[in-house]
This record gives sequence, C-alpha cells and structure tokens, in this order.
Amino acid sequence: MESGGSRRERILSLLVGPGRGAFGTKRLCEVCAEATAMTGAGIMLMSADTPHGSLCTSNKMSDVIEQLQYSLGEGPCVDAYYQDSPVLEPDLVRPSSPRWLAFAGPAIEAGVRAIFGFPLQVGAVRLGALNLCRDLPGPLSDDQHANALIMADVAAQAVLVLQADAPPEKLGSELGAGADFHYVVHQAAGMVAVQLEVSVGQALLRLRAYAFGNDRSLTDVARDVVARKLRFDAASGEKDRLP
Amino acid sequence: MCSIPVFNTNMTRTSVPREALLARTLVELADTLVADFDVVELLTRLTDRCVEVLDVAAAGLMLAGPDGELRVMASSSEAMRVLELFELQAKEGPCLDCYRSGKPIVDHDLAMPSSRWPRFAAETLAAGFHSVQALPMRLRGTVIGALNLFHVETGEMSKADVDGAQALADVATIAILQHRASLEAQVLNQQLHHALNSRIVIEQAKGMVAERSGLNMEQSFSALRTYARNHNRRLVEVAEAVIAGSLAPSALGSAPRVAPAPSEPT
Repeated sequence: MESGGSRRERILSLLVGPGRGAFGTKRLCEVCAEATAMTGAGIMLMSADTPHGSLCTSNKMSDVIEQLQYSLGEGPCVDAYYQDSPVLEPDLVRPSSPRWLAFAGPAIEAGVRAIFGFPLQVGAVRLGALNLCRDLPGPLSDDQHANALIMADVAAQAVLVLQADAPPEKLGSELGAGADFHYVVHQAAGMVAVQLEVSVGQALLRLRAYAFGNDRSLTDVARDVVARKLRFDAASGEKDRLP
Repeated sequence: MCSIPVFNTNMTRTSVPREALLARTLVELADTLVADFDVVELLTRLTDRCVEVLDVAAAGLMLAGPDGELRVMASSSEAMRVLELFELQAKEGPCLDCYRSGKPIVDHDLAMPSSRWPRFAAETLAAGFHSVQALPMRLRGTVIGALNLFHVETGEMSKADVDGAQALADVATIAILQHRASLEAQVLNQQLHHALNSRIVIEQAKGMVAERSGLNMEQSFSALRTYARNHNRRLVEVAEAVIAGSLAPSALGSAPRVAPAPSEPT
C-alpha cells in the first residue's frame, strides 16, 4: 500500500487545489472519474430525508447510467446503497452471474463495459452511492479500488458540506479539515438528532450550518454540544436562526 | 470499568501474576474469534485488558483506512481527552511513526524538550501521561495499524510487558484479518473501511443515548456494550437499532449509572 495520507491529499488537491477553478457538483463528479481513471462517474442521492436524484454526472455515459438506475430501480448504485458495500461488475457483457436484467442491456448500448458502485456513508448516515463506469471491461486495480473508497468518503463529506450551504470559499478548508475524522462531531450529531427530533444526517447538516453561520470550526461547535454548553432545540432559540 | 485504569492495574497485579492474566486474556480473546464476531467489542475488550494486565494507564488501537490515515478503532477510555490524543496521531505521534515504519516506537519521557512530536507531547503531558509506546499491528509484512500505550510515569516498560503487549496486538491483527485466506489488498481495504465506519455508527448512537439519558459519553458507550453483551448482539447492530429508532435508549437499562465518572490519571 502506498503512503495514503498523500493519496487523500491528492484527491483533495484535484477537487479544491490551486488552478482548479470553482468547486461544484460537476467538478466533484469529474474528480471522481479522474481519481479512479474511469470513463465516467456520477453521484446518486438516495437517502430517505433528502430529495432523491442525480447530484451530478461527469459525462454523457454516466448520465445515461444514472437515469437508467432511477427509472429501473436496479443497478450497481442501487445495490451498493442497500447492501452497504461496494458492488463490482468488471464485465457487464459477460458477468460471472446474471444480474440487472433490465439495466444491463441499455447500459451496454450506452458503451459501458465495466461498472462499479460504492456507497456514500458517514456512519449510519447513508446518502447514496458513487457510480463509476468504464468503456473497457476489467477489474479495478488495487490503486483504483483504494482511490474509489477514499473518493466515496470525500464525496460523502462534500455532499454534506454542499447541503449545509457552505460559502464556496470555505469548501476547500472544510474538506481539508477532515472534521468527519473527529468522533466528537458524530457524538454531537447524535445529541442534536435527539434535540431536534431529526435524523442523524439532518443533525450533521444543522451542526455544519451553525458552524458556517457563526464562523466556527465544526469540531469546536461539536465539543460545545457534547459538553452541554450548546443546545439546538427550540428552548435555545437556535432553531429559529437556522435555515 | 475502563475509566479507572491505574487503580484497576494495582488491584489485579496484587492478586494474580501478570503472566497468568495475560494467558487468560489471550484465551478469552481467541475464544471470541468465532465466525461472526463483533470487531469493535473485541478490540475494546483488548484495550481494556491491556490496562488491566500490563502496567499502563490507557490503551488504544488505531487502524489505517484505505487512505493510510490512522483512525481510532478502540480505546480503554472513552474520555474525550484520551480519544483526542489518538485522533491527533493522524498527523503526528508514535502511532503514525510506528505505522509508517512497522517498528515499535517509544518515548520514555515526553517532557524532554527534544520530543519528536511537539504538539502530541504537549497534549499528552497535559492529559497526565508522561511516557508512551506504540506497537505495530502487522501480519506477514502488512501493517494495518498500531497499539498505543500511555503511562502516567516516565521510564521504560519491562521487556515482559512489551512482549505481552505485542502478543495482544498480534491477536487484534489476526482478529481483523482472519476472514481472509490471503492478504488481498482490496478485501483488506474494504474491511478496514467498513470497520472504521462502524465505529462512527457507534459514536452517533452514543450521542443519542447521552442526550436521551443524561449519561456522559463513556457511560453511554458502556450502556450500549452492556446491552449488546446481555442480548448477544453485535455492538454495531445495537447502535444501528438506536439510530433507526427501533431500540429506545431507555431500553438499554441503568447498568452504566453505577460506573464511576472518568477520573484523571494523575
């Protein structure tokens, strides 16, 4: 295994590094494809508490793939999301066991020969799935597989940052800070979920939105919640201030 | 029980020889390596035993994800100041050096100004620990993480304690890698990734339990563990049930209330 800190940093620099232009969902999907050396990539949102839909696709092929999975309700992303684990199909034309009977034909017609789905999750929060497709058959290399796992983590974090309406200039530092590595953030999300009677995913968004709105780091805000110095329920008045 | 490491160590050491405790621990851990074992519970128990059997004040296990960044998988103490000492080591500290080199790393006296890890040393001293040790979790050349031991006193660990700690680290490594005949990189990465995510699930559930029950994080963790053990369920499943709302935090019982509040090591 190559030194991975740099692996993650490389992906982040593709996303928000110098000279990369404005960050947005389109860029996110392009980097998903670039970092894993795929023909196309897309992100599907499938969680119960946000609108379902395609967040972004990197090109025409991935666009078709996402639409097919939505209309047919089957495919690697759907499986990855429900199985909570990566789904790999290195040869869509000659799969080792037949699957996706409705999806496979039109996907092959769109030029896809290998397709892979990786769940987007942050603990128990399941956001959707990352879809990677390629116009040539063959398995992922170890490098591509590791990059896809990290990419799925970074994408999950990016989705949360975007959903919390982060100011664009803060996106880079937000993703770089890797706040999701700090357990206090997840403990606080559990507490806020109970305070507001919302899902843990929604609580993570509220925490982030509060941190942005008050120009504080997510970790600091989370520490205050866990120390019971900050509450998010109606009694604190915080609820009204939030979008 | 995991919050009173120093006290615990003294009690056990006066009654049973360390070698006997260590042997008993290895048998106990080996016994839990059944097909569908609970990885978080097993590793947490292992860090608890490190504190009880070896002469250490706190112990933690850090695993590397597919990105090679170290994350906390289990700790003998859920106190935030201890967890943060592990989290800090994603950037600097003995665990990171140990993971990168695959060799044991030791600092007998963190107060020496020449410390390799200025920030880690300062925060560790502030938490009341004066020396630290990291032992590699490795199998056939693959390093997957490190076992981290904290001591209140300065000075060297005995050779016997180091050997004992390495034996425990080896058991943890085998536990994590056992499901596979080979060290296939993609399967290993996927398993480590999954294990680390399951730890996040547990943190989210701890928060819900803490808010509903008024317990602190350590007590909430203990309540989840006790429930899982009493109902023969995996810790992560219990955590998921709490988050999904199918298990009320109040159903976890009052057992953790008797647990002492986290104590400072000094």
